[in-house]
Amino acid sequence: MALQKPPVFLNLLQIRLPIAGIMSIIHRASGMLMVLLIPLSIYLLDLSLTDEQGFTAVGSLLHGTVGSLILLLLLWVLLHHLYSGIRYLLIDVEIGVDRPAYRYTAWAVTLLAPFSALLLLGIL
Amino acid sequence: MKFTVYRYNPETGHEPRMQDFEIEVERGMMLRDGLIAIQDEDESFAFRHSCGEGVCGSDGVNVNGSNRLACITPLSELREPVVVRPFPGRPVIRDLVVDMSQFYKQYKQVDPWLVRREPMPEQEILQSPQERDRLDGLYECIMCGCCSTACPSFWWNPEKFYGPQALLTAARFIADSRDQTTAQRMDALDDPFKLFRCHTIMNCVDACPKNLNPTKAIGFIKAQMLKSSI
Repeated sequence: MALQKPPVFLNLLQIRLPIAGIMSIIHRASGMLMVLLIPLSIYLLDLSLTDEQGFTAVGSLLHGTVGSLILLLLLWVLLHHLYSGIRYLLIDVEIGVDRPAYRYTAWAVTLLAPFSALLLLGIL
Repeated sequence: MKFTVYRYNPETGHEPRMQDFEIEVERGMMLRDGLIAIQDEDESFAFRHSCGEGVCGSDGVNVNGSNRLACITPLSELREPVVVRPFPGRPVIRDLVVDMSQFYKQYKQVDPWLVRREPMPEQEILQSPQERDRLDGLYECIMCGCCSTACPSFWWNPEKFYGPQALLTAARFIADSRDQTTAQRMDALDDPFKLFRCHTIMNCVDACPKNLNPTKAIGFIKAQMLKSSI
């Protein structure tokens, strides 16, 4: 009985991640999502460049509800990855590595990315 | 005040479970006092504690999802029910008591002592005030383990990645003007995992009850490595 493997508590839903940790996870996920969305982006670019018909087809797709949502997602992950990447580079040169600066910049990245994505799409 | 604590007893062979307690609290009580009150109710409840004032680093627990030292966490700061679990990622021995062997093993890996190549002088080795200042923020670590067990890189690679605590200690000896093995210390860390598995997530900085900054210490080691390579 005593020889059984000891349990390990590692339930990520029960561990409170600080904002910098949440931002970091989105940074990872956004990088992965960007790579996964490359084929779709290339397909749409290719289609829009074939002829006038293709161009209007892609245009109307991206202006539709689903298309807009995909575009918003793409833009959001791109901007989050970009902003958090810049934040990491700054931390590497000791800018914003102290308390509480790293918390503020993590909040700023996490909020600014969706906000600026909406702004760029002209929704706001 | 309502408490929900993690219970596990290896002798029973049952899976870990959560147990509720209702504890009467008074002004100024710390989480450690609450855990002691739980122990008064159920003496089979196990947790580590000693000094009771944030110096020994024994009573690190995961409370409401965050790693903290129970003795310096006021109950008034915690939301009810107070959910207390053992440190994440470490094998549970019993209730809140975890096996920290791997953590100590990584600490030992960084040779946490001063090394002199030259013969020891007759008197003490003097440091200038500036040289001494470089150790501030590095030497105060009490090895409670709050940081390393809050670090995702340490959760996934506890054997290969040294973790924030050991790396903070490595920085402490690299920064010490009296140590004569700085180059060897840095060579030993030049590995894809030991040091470079740190992804600057900074959960360690959030968790440290002594307000130290392991991320900054890791950045210091990287900067020293870069300087010595050019």
